[in-house]
Amino acid sequence: MDIEILGKYLFKAAFIRSFEQRLAQFSQKGLVPGLLHLCLGAEVFEVILCSKLDSSCDQVTGSHRSHGLALAMETDPVSVAAEILGLEAGLSAGIGGTQHLLAPESGFLSSNGIVGGQVPMAAGAALSAKVRGTGGIAVTVFGDGAFNQGAISETMNLAAVLSLPVLFIVENNGLGQSTAAGYATAGSVIQRVRSLGIAAERVDSNDIEAVDTVTDTMTAWVRNNGSPAVIEALVPRLGGHYHGENEAYLGDQKVPDPLHTLETKALNSGLAEDQIQDILSRARQDADSAVEQAAKLYPAGESLMAKWSAKLHWNSGVGLLQAGGTDT
Amino acid sequence: MTAISFGDALNRTLHDCMAADDSIIIAGEDIAGGAGIEDSDVELGGVFGVTRGLAARFGTGRVLDTPITESAFVGMGLGAAATGLRPVIEVMFCDFFGVCFDQLINQAAKMRFLSNDRIQLPLVIRTTMGAGDGSGAMHSQSLHALVASVPGLRVVCPATPADAAGLLKTSIASPDPVIFMEHKGLYGLTGPLREDEDGHIVPIPLGKGRYVRRGTDLTLVATGAMVQEAEKAADILAVRGMRCEIIDPRTISPLDMEILIESVAGTGRLLVVDEGAAFAGFADAVVSKISQKAFAFLKSAPVSLTPPHTPVPYGRALEAAYLPSHEKIVECALRHFSK
Repeated sequence: MDIEILGKYLFKAAFIRSFEQRLAQFSQKGLVPGLLHLCLGAEVFEVILCSKLDSSCDQVTGSHRSHGLALAMETDPVSVAAEILGLEAGLSAGIGGTQHLLAPESGFLSSNGIVGGQVPMAAGAALSAKVRGTGGIAVTVFGDGAFNQGAISETMNLAAVLSLPVLFIVENNGLGQSTAAGYATAGSVIQRVRSLGIAAERVDSNDIEAVDTVTDTMTAWVRNNGSPAVIEALVPRLGGHYHGENEAYLGDQKVPDPLHTLETKALNSGLAEDQIQDILSRARQDADSAVEQAAKLYPAGESLMAKWSAKLHWNSGVGLLQAGGTDT
Repeated sequence: MTAISFGDALNRTLHDCMAADDSIIIAGEDIAGGAGIEDSDVELGGVFGVTRGLAARFGTGRVLDTPITESAFVGMGLGAAATGLRPVIEVMFCDFFGVCFDQLINQAAKMRFLSNDRIQLPLVIRTTMGAGDGSGAMHSQSLHALVASVPGLRVVCPATPADAAGLLKTSIASPDPVIFMEHKGLYGLTGPLREDEDGHIVPIPLGKGRYVRRGTDLTLVATGAMVQEAEKAADILAVRGMRCEIIDPRTISPLDMEILIESVAGTGRLLVVDEGAAFAGFADAVVSKISQKAFAFLKSAPVSLTPPHTPVPYGRALEAAYLPSHEKIVECALRHFSK
């Protein structure tokens, strides 16, 4: 593989790792309103996947664990951090937060608080691209836990029968919250998907070459054929369901970290040790500075809620003829 | 003014809007009909014929028959609305909202808010409501207040062909997701269509109720098929010396409180008749809001008339016992409001 490309992957994946770790520190200090579902272990796969997309016409939807996807789609990291911290400079002024990152302008349509909820809308983004002839595709990323949701089976079927350019990504990290995929899933992901006549490939995220090839092939296939495809990506979950949870149930599993695998791969491909250290330290500095810059900003206040209350009001602020009583 | 049926008024509006705007697409179950059946060239046009002729005119690229998977195609609609299309999605009966509730109340309802208005969601969900045709417990509900209680969804319940056309036109243009509820009992109702001098359907704003008739003694509030029952009841009550004012709010959310308060300010009495829930439904919402905002005008306690708190029954006599009717409105009005 081209060492320049490997260097780019390494920088981005390391950036996401550092970004989330910095946020985790803020969380421990009580400065993050919600629970952080970190993508530790999925960074490399997500960076390589998103490098195959065109943010001017493609749209990605993701799960509650989507900080990395938003960043991999080049969403401004200060805005992402500010959103996660619940601040006015956030993507949605802190209205959405960690589980509801929306950045359609950079090709990241939405992450989601409902397991599997983000999948049907990807069919819509794909339909939009098809009807409007933009050449775009939709990519929807969800976990092995979500894979058992009805909405996902429905959407795979719909995308197949209507020929919609959707790439479904099953990030199989072996765990749906604390429940093992082997316990929760009958049969196998690939078997189930292939029974719908949908092209499917399985890839281990520690095999960097394979990830690069499979994501390249499948995105191109969906784009060129206008039909859905599935990638089952084996990614480790290197932490708890959320940061700070009691992780005792995880036991003592040792899983290789794709970020280290990528580092080794870069080294073996000819990137010098000091170049790699330079990439990693730049990534850390940039990520730290983005999160810290965001943390200095301010939360939105009552006026934003007043604006939304008026906008969505059940009587839309129609002038009231008051005759005693309260205005609720 | 052309006389037209409620169903044809909707069909005409869909044709006009689709012809004027390429970004409008239609999707749902059996909306063209016969998909995948060889030699099938007779268009069903939806189970009530509202989407008749659309596939033939605009092609199956813009008029899509879907599998029976409400979560997937409602979600597809909202995803398409967020990315540049104006989808009109048909959910055959509002009872089927139960199948796709996540996509309605979490995904569609919240997207504009969660994006802090960076995403507009011009999505219309057309659906049917209402009992009276023996369709039973799972094809007859009136869930307008249930969806109206979710911030981010707008809810429309037209009662006449002109309102159906004018409100659908506005709903398609709306940047918010709109649940457009068509009462099954009204499809055959005929009436004038309101067109401008160029023959375009006159749009009706959401949140603007209408006076069905003026009166001085009692405000009757009704939507959908209940408007006709209220009118019949008002005729009978007039003979008994009670002059009713009938208000059709036309949209549940936004709700035109101004017209309701104005009417109650004149009559001092309120009877809400509704086909929806007996508890925490539309009737309760109107009674509650009027009690809070117009208490000083009320001469007696406001009253609601709804079905009992049961699912919709099947048999003819049972269904008649369930539904509010003009006879029940008359009886209720005389019992509570006779001077």
